[in-house]
Formats: sequence, structure tokens, C-alpha cells
Amino acid sequence: MSTPIKTAVILCTCSGIISERIDWAEVQTLLAGHPSKPVFLVDELACGVDNLEHLAAWLVQEQPSRVVVAACSPREHETTFRKLLSDAGINPWFMQFVNVREQVAWVTEDPRAATAKAARLLHAALNRVQRHEPLSERSVPVRTEVAVIGSGPAGMQATLTLARAGRQVTLIEKEPVIGGLPVRFEELFPNLECGPCLLEPVMGDLLHGHESANVNLLTLSEVTEVKGSFGNWTITVKQKPRFINPDLCIGCMICAEVCPERRPNRWNGSGEIAAVAVPFAGTLPNLPHIDAETCLRLKGEECSACLAECPVEGSLDFDDQEREYTIEAGAIIIASGAEEKQDLPASFANQEDVHTAYSFERLLAMNGPSGGELLKADGTAPKSLAIVQCAGSLDSSEVSYCSGTCCRAAAKYAHLASGKVAGISVSRLVREQSFPGVDAGRQFHHDHSTVVRYGAFSELTVTGTESGRNIMIDGGTTVRADMIVLCRPIVPSAGTAECLSLLDLDRDEAGFIAPLHSLSGSCATTLKGVYLAGSCRGPGDIRDAFATGTAAAGLALSDLVDGRDLVIDPQVAVVDATICAGCKTCIQLCPYKAISWNDVEKVAEVSDMLCRGCGTCVASCPSGAITGRGFSREMLRAELEGVLS
Amino acid sequence: MSCQTLPTEQTAETSSANVTPGPLRIVAFLCNWCSYAGADKAGSNQLPVPSELSVIRVMCSGRIEPPLILEAFQKGADGVMVLACHPGDCHYKEGNIRAFCRAELLQNLVPQLGIDPKRFRFDYVSAAEAEKFSRITNEFVDKMRSIRL
Ligand code: FES
Repeated sequence: MSTPIKTAVILCTCSGIISERIDWAEVQTLLAGHPSKPVFLVDELACGVDNLEHLAAWLVQEQPSRVVVAACSPREHETTFRKLLSDAGINPWFMQFVNVREQVAWVTEDPRAATAKAARLLHAALNRVQRHEPLSERSVPVRTEVAVIGSGPAGMQATLTLARAGRQVTLIEKEPVIGGLPVRFEELFPNLECGPCLLEPVMGDLLHGHESANVNLLTLSEVTEVKGSFGNWTITVKQKPRFINPDLCIGCMICAEVCPERRPNRWNGSGEIAAVAVPFAGTLPNLPHIDAETCLRLKGEECSACLAECPVEGSLDFDDQEREYTIEAGAIIIASGAEEKQDLPASFANQEDVHTAYSFERLLAMNGPSGGELLKADGTAPKSLAIVQCAGSLDSSEVSYCSGTCCRAAAKYAHLASGKVAGISVSRLVREQSFPGVDAGRQFHHDHSTVVRYGAFSELTVTGTESGRNIMIDGGTTVRADMIVLCRPIVPSAGTAECLSLLDLDRDEAGFIAPLHSLSGSCATTLKGVYLAGSCRGPGDIRDAFATGTAAAGLALSDLVDGRDLVIDPQVAVVDATICAGCKTCIQLCPYKAISWNDVEKVAEVSDMLCRGCGTCVASCPSGAITGRGFSREMLRAELEGVLS
Repeated sequence: MSCQTLPTEQTAETSSANVTPGPLRIVAFLCNWCSYAGADKAGSNQLPVPSELSVIRVMCSGRIEPPLILEAFQKGADGVMVLACHPGDCHYKEGNIRAFCRAELLQNLVPQLGIDPKRFRFDYVSAAEAEKFSRITNEFVDKMRSIRL
């Protein structure tokens, strides 16, 4: 910049702490010849309230074009002095801050050296500030509605928390019923609390409570597309037909009783249900659904069994169609959960009475396939139960992590099985054991099962006949196993995998959704306006689901406030479309996916709403087409020249 | 044949011959979130930091493009440091990984330009490592002083 610009320089003594080492008079002499013709003001304590008023008056009087402040760390007071510039009617980004307290006065013993260093850094700041561009914060209105994906405990809790705060929430659930996994469980570890008793009031509030007016529940629905960014998401949802009119159906389930067709009950992991049915008694909303692939009438065959018996005409709606909804929301909470790894190793596959944890939960439940009785496929009670923990977890050939919830579930199974079948011998086969927490510790100490250690899941084989079946460990020890429960690894659910690809989110090494920060930001993602609740973040229990549901709702509430626009920091990256060569290097590098490809102009574009100003793309652009506002190439070069002159 | 055709000793001589002895000029690029905070903490703990060191603050070490480092050498810097958050700790997730890769590149490139690779140093300083900041900046400046002698 050739025309010198008048620059005001504020030199703070920090109540004498800075001036003890730095001679401000000497600095002024050293800088007097600087082309920016600096005018100086030494202040005792520039950040003091009265001092700031005085400084504002001085700036108004001097009318400088640029300001340099030499004081403490910018990490402490940069914002204070930006505001000072605003108050004096100067663009706040026309300022450069020089840290002469922490990084000069306090670390340099010799006052002569400290004074020389302060002068050098100020010289650089005077150079740099000439290159500053006026910036301004942009504000955009944000929507306060929230979309929640998944209606397990985490999604329900997030929805209710938001609804209670008066927010409009769309709760999207791909199943015909809400409640997620634990709604299938009868008793919950570690205290054997009644699962339905815990969850039904929550589901009741969601469906019929005061706040239900704020909740738009979409069952049988999946998100197919997400567009937009923080504050303004547009979500496309496809809803499968239920073939039941929810406004008319009274939930008597006569249709299910008379239906002649059967399909496997995937919710129980065993047994069958009718083509028109609920997964099991007591599911909410209290509405059956019709499986189009099983129902004779929907397959074009003659059948009116349910129609003939339904007491409310119009409840059965065979003309029901797939619907598409467009949801506008400011934030998205993903609560799409985790699931058991589906495959079974060959040694356990295709055998009677081998359960996974989830199907065993159903076997234990009163509304399960055997009415809560612990029965083998032949209808008799097992004499022995072998629960295989770590069945694929902590195992590099399956998943290398601990699935976190199996130990407590296994101890619960052992306890409940002993209560259901007198004299049953229960063994827990473990690789490692972990019962973290006070109440889980109690559960551990009250466990009476025989604990047998094994080395690797692949070492386990099933031997013997149905009447005397055993699990053999590495060809040696045998464990009686009339009935077997495999605690398979907990992996991201199909819904979680879909959310990851729909939103192009980062995944962690196990395929769960990576949080913004593993410790301090575990319910947020790197994508602003997308929050996480429950076990889409990694294996977790119900306590974790409720807690993180509340947490994610809290983040959405604090980020999206009615009437408060989103203020966008102007210190972002900008692409000069006239220089961009279209190599797309930056698009790959941006950790926040803030850069997109404009296919019409054939250039990269940065969304200022998503950019966080790290400057990685600025440094990587081979054409130098990207400017980092506030840290531009010209500013850094000017500063560099200043410190080296 | 090695690409590093210029032995370091010879490089050192060449550079010292060209520079008029004056105060050492050392530039350190520090990322705002860890290294700059660590440098601030060195201040709060009153640990010595060489007066020859001039800090240039950037938001992330990923902001530093290699030409800027080369320019520092061209303009007469005796030594250049880039200090970043530890791997995994970058405020912007992976800017420090980019910085690390560029540092590798520079280590190999600068000897081709007649610059002793010892005059460039990339390191990690966390917000808590005030002592490390003080130690490595002093070590670096001492080394630059001995190279120039
Ligand atoms: S913020 Fe420190 S290296 Fe990226």
C-alpha cells in the first residue's frame, strides 16, 4: 500500500507491568519514521472501563484509518479492543494486536532487549495493519425447529426436551413403532428396573402429553436427502404406507387375530406374526401395520378376513400410498443407534437354541414369543445356559473394541434365567470383564454364575447332541450349553450408516459417527447444526441415551434461539473465482466440508456458515486463489517483512 | 546420487558469509489454540524466551504455506520454526497433519536452496507446555547462533 495511512497506536503499560521492561518512549522514537506516520497514546491500563471510554474519545478525535494495540495476549483482550474500534466508528478489523506482556515483558529479562523486541513486533504490526480489509459480520435468520432421527430413548428424550422448551420437533422413525431397542426389554440392568414402566411414560408424553402438540411423529419413515446448512436444513422424508388410517383405527387388533397369513417376527428374532399386526403386545403408537409382501389382498389375491371383522369402517386403508415430506429445520439430532452384528460364526449358525442378546431379551420378556418363559425350541426348559461374552468383540478379526454393555447384560441374563428355571446351571464365558459404575458393581458381586475364561472367539466350538450339548474351549474345557446366548459386537445400525452417508459425516475407526471432540464435544459433529445422541456415537446404555438426548437438545437450544440471528464470523476463507483453476484440492482438505464445487462456474466455493477459518485451504491452493480473511497472504508477508527488517 | 547435494557444513558457511553479523532473526509461526497459548503460558510462568524470536500468530499451523517459510529465509531469517498442536489435538482436527507433511517437504527442499535444514524446525507445543516452548525456542536460537559463528 503506497499511500501512508494514519495509524493510531495504543501502548498499554498494564499498570506498570509492561513498562517495567519495555521503554515506551524509546519504542516511539524507534518507530517515529515508520511510513504509516503512527500517533501514539500510552495508557496505564487500556482495558479498564474508564480508560476504554477515554481511548474511544481519543480515536474519534484522531480519526485514524488503522489501529495497533500493544498490550496483553490477543487471546485475552482482542475482542475488547475490536469493540473499542466499533465504538469509535472504525471498522473493528482495522486493528492489529501485539502481545507485549506475555510474549515480551514477562519473558525477556533485559529491558533493552525487551524494548527492541517490542519495537520490532510493533513495526511488523504497523506493516500488517495497512493490509487489513474492512470486514463485517453477516447475520442470517435461523429456523428454530429441530428434526430428530430415531425414536429410541435418546431420540425421544431429545424430542421431549425440545418440545418442552416450546420447539417444534419432527421425530423420524423408520420402524412402525417407537421406543428403539430397550422397548423390547423387560428388565434393565443394572437394577432390573422394569423397562416398559420406565419407557411408557416417556412414549406417552411424546404421543399424548402436553408437549405432544409440538411433536410431529413420522413412523415408517426414512430420510432420503438432506440439503442446506446450520440454521436452514431441508430434509426430505419418505414414509411407507401403513395401510391403516391412524385417525380411525382404535387399536383393537382384531385384524391381527383373523389374518390368515404369517411372516417371521424380526422384532422378536424368532416366531411369526400376522401380515397385519403389531411387533408385540403393547407397542406404541397403538396401531397395527400391514406388510405389503405378506398380505394376500395387497398381493392382488382375494382376501377380506380383516375387513370383515374390523369394527371401524375405513380403518383398513388398502389404497394407502407412500408419502414424501419436506421438513425445514435449523438443527438435526441424529439418534439412529447401534445394533448387534448380524452374522453368526459357522460353529454357532443354524443350531437350535442359540440366541443373540437381543433375541434372548425377547425370550425373557412377558410379551415375547414364549410369554416370558425360558423355553427351548422343543418346549422344555434348558438345564444349562452358556452366555458367551465378548463374542466377536476385542477381536481383531471382528471388532477390536469392547462393546461396553454386554457384561452387565450377561449378568442380568444369568440372574433372570436362575429365577425362571429352578436349578439351571449358568456359565458366563468371558475374555475380559468390566462392570463400571457403583450399581453395576453391586450386580457383579451378586452374580452366581460360573465364570470361564477363554482366549479367542474362534477357539469356541459346539459339541455333542441336543440332549447334552457343550461349548468346548480350544479343544479342552467344556461348558454345558443346552441354551446359548452370544453377546455379539455392538456395531453402528443401518440407520446410522445411512445418516453418515446422507450428511457426509466423519466416521470413527469403528464406523460410528465421529464427534466434534471425543471428550468435550461428544454430542456435536464437525458439521455445525448436526448433533448426536445415544449409541450412534458408539456402544452405550440407556442411561447414556437419556443423558446424551438431553445434551443434544441442549446444544440445539443454545445454538438456535428464536429471534437471534446466526452471526457469521467474517474471518473465513474466500475463493477468487477468477483465479480458481478448479483443481478441487481444497474440497478434499477442508475438515468441515465447507467447500463445495460450483459445477456451473467450475470453481470451488466456500460456505461462510460452515468455514471455521483455519486457513488450511488457503495454504494448500496451488493457484493462490483462496484468501484467508484476517490472515491473508499479504498480511502475513507484511508482518514477516516487519519482524525481519 | 543423493538429492541433498549440499553438505550441511558447507551450507552453513555459505549462509554466514552472506549475512552481516547483527542480531539473530528468528521467526516462529504459532497456531493460536495450542502453541500460542503455550507461549502465553511461558509468559505467565516468567520462563525465558529468546528476545531474538519473533512470533507470528496464525489460527492453525495448517495455514502456513511453504512459500512463506522460504520467503522468511529469503528476507534474512536465520531460523524459522512452525509450532503446532500435538497430533490429534488440532483445533481444526487435522491442520497440524498438513503442517507436518509440508515440514517434511521443506526439510528436503531447503538444502537444494542452499539452506541448512537445521535452520527450519517443526514441532508440537501444547497449551500446557510452557516449559517446552521456553526450552525449544532457546535451544533453537542457541543452535542458530552456533551455526552462524
Ligand atoms: S489449531 Fe493448532 S495446529 Fe491446528
